[in-house]
Amino acid sequence: MIVTRGLSKRYGNTLAVDALSFTVSPGVVTGFLGPNGSGKSTTMRMILGLDRPDAGSALVNGCAYADLSWPLREVGALLDAKAFHPGRSARNHLRWLAQTNDIPRTRVDAVLDIVGLTAVADRRAGKFSLGMGQRLGIASALLGDPGVLLFDEPVNGLDPEGIRWVRHLLRDLASEGRTVLVSSHLINEMALTAQRLVVIGRGTLIAETSVDDFVARHQSDAVRVVTPTPQRFVAALSRAGARPSVQPDGSIVTSGLSAADIGELAADQELTVHELTPMRASLEDVFMELTSTTVEYRSLSHDHSAAPDALPAR
Amino acid sequence: MTTLPITSPASSRTGVPVAQSGRWRAGLSQTVRAEGTKLVSLRSTRWTLLVTAAGTFLVTFLATHGALHHNAQWYQGFDPTNQSLAGLAIGSLALGVLGILAICGDYGTGTIRSSLGAMPRRGVLLRAKVLVVGLATLVIGETLSFISFFEGQAVLHGGAPTAALGQPGVLRAVALSGAFLALFALLGLGIGTVIRHTAGAIAVFAGVTFLVPILFDSISHGIARFAPELIFANSIAAVHRQGNAVSVTIGVMLMVAYCAVALGLGAVLLNRRDA
Repeated sequence: MIVTRGLSKRYGNTLAVDALSFTVSPGVVTGFLGPNGSGKSTTMRMILGLDRPDAGSALVNGCAYADLSWPLREVGALLDAKAFHPGRSARNHLRWLAQTNDIPRTRVDAVLDIVGLTAVADRRAGKFSLGMGQRLGIASALLGDPGVLLFDEPVNGLDPEGIRWVRHLLRDLASEGRTVLVSSHLINEMALTAQRLVVIGRGTLIAETSVDDFVARHQSDAVRVVTPTPQRFVAALSRAGARPSVQPDGSIVTSGLSAADIGELAADQELTVHELTPMRASLEDVFMELTSTTVEYRSLSHDHSAAPDALPAR
Repeated sequence: MTTLPITSPASSRTGVPVAQSGRWRAGLSQTVRAEGTKLVSLRSTRWTLLVTAAGTFLVTFLATHGALHHNAQWYQGFDPTNQSLAGLAIGSLALGVLGILAICGDYGTGTIRSSLGAMPRRGVLLRAKVLVVGLATLVIGETLSFISFFEGQAVLHGGAPTAALGQPGVLRAVALSGAFLALFALLGLGIGTVIRHTAGAIAVFAGVTFLVPILFDSISHGIARFAPELIFANSIAAVHRQGNAVSVTIGVMLMVAYCAVALGLGAVLLNRRDA
């Protein structure tokens, strides 16, 4: 369980994290979502006691991180930046980490096995690829078999197979009853991995909800209709109070009526329907729209504040 | 990489597999062990030691060899012990760098986040580093000092006055010089904790230990003798003190004070700063 209350951090004139309060519960993967520079890493560093908050608190299992008796046995973390010495082998890195918290040496071999680094365990970590370094970071996080895990952009640098592996790992860890907080700036990645979401932008909380809820709440109610008689169909829809528009490809997209209602309407009026598709805004569009006002570094060439394009439901 | 198992049987949530330490929380002894592993598991440590030993013994050879076959007047006030410890100046710099690397190696590579994640009480981490660096360099320093002494005396045997450990003040000079090398390492550790960047810390270390005091000596005469390197060379490693060198007692007290200031400032900043 991770609880932050009014967590704030200022760097110079920039308020990196602004009165952030959220709770991460055990048993589910919680996605920590926000654009780059929105304060995710800073928040995680404050949870881990690396950065001192200017205000507020972050508690892990009811404790400030510095007060944990055996930090690595309670909390495991993978931070975005590398946290190992390139001159040390993976095994030696894990060995000294284990010693700090009286973790038995057998556990070093176990986590090397879990992340698939056994074969290269005695090679200097500086020779590792980005993905292997990421696996070593994950091994470090799992070392103390902790009940609380924080992963900052864990799929960075991983190949597709590695990404799948991380998704499964995160879900398995959560299903074992652990608290799992995973940051990402990619909502589609989180939709595949997380059950709950904490969404932030410019250091402030935008949403704290379940993924399903998030999708449902921001779902558009548009329905796409393909018919051989678009003019008659549009007229019928308008009479029924919907707001139809004919698309360049001849199909009709309408809001204000559900797919079921439109089906009934077509039957009543004896209109032919070739296709009837409820549409849903893509998660990415929803995310873009939500955070567009809070993105710190926005490129001028893209206007993300435009209305989201509707896409067929996933 | 091949397909990977997701979790091992050992990672189920029930029963955290940890050693039966009987301790109620992670503390200094765990961190000391870990810092020891960190030190010996780096190739840079071995390289530093190799270069230290080679440099020390080479300079001692050159210094003592250059003292051979002079006339009687040249040997007026000649201190064969001091001559044979000349190479330790190299040792003092190299072990200072070792102390710097013990902390800046953590900062420069991001390892500091792992270190503080494992031991969030920062004072404990610094104390562990002080113990590990201090003890390791004490052993290394004494070894260097005694080998350097015997090497130098062997060279001086070829045609110059020599010293023996049994003579007054000689054992003190040799043994204390070894211990002084450990203080240089701790000074490096303290400066490294304050500066956090290896190159910057080495520059400050070199500046503080001899460059700046020697530069200022021309303005305020006599200030150079308080510089760590000059205390070391002219008071600690000497049997017959020359000129305005400070006494051994004052020299030791000053050096301990320098270390305390550097480490104290480092501790305050370490606690205050974001990692």
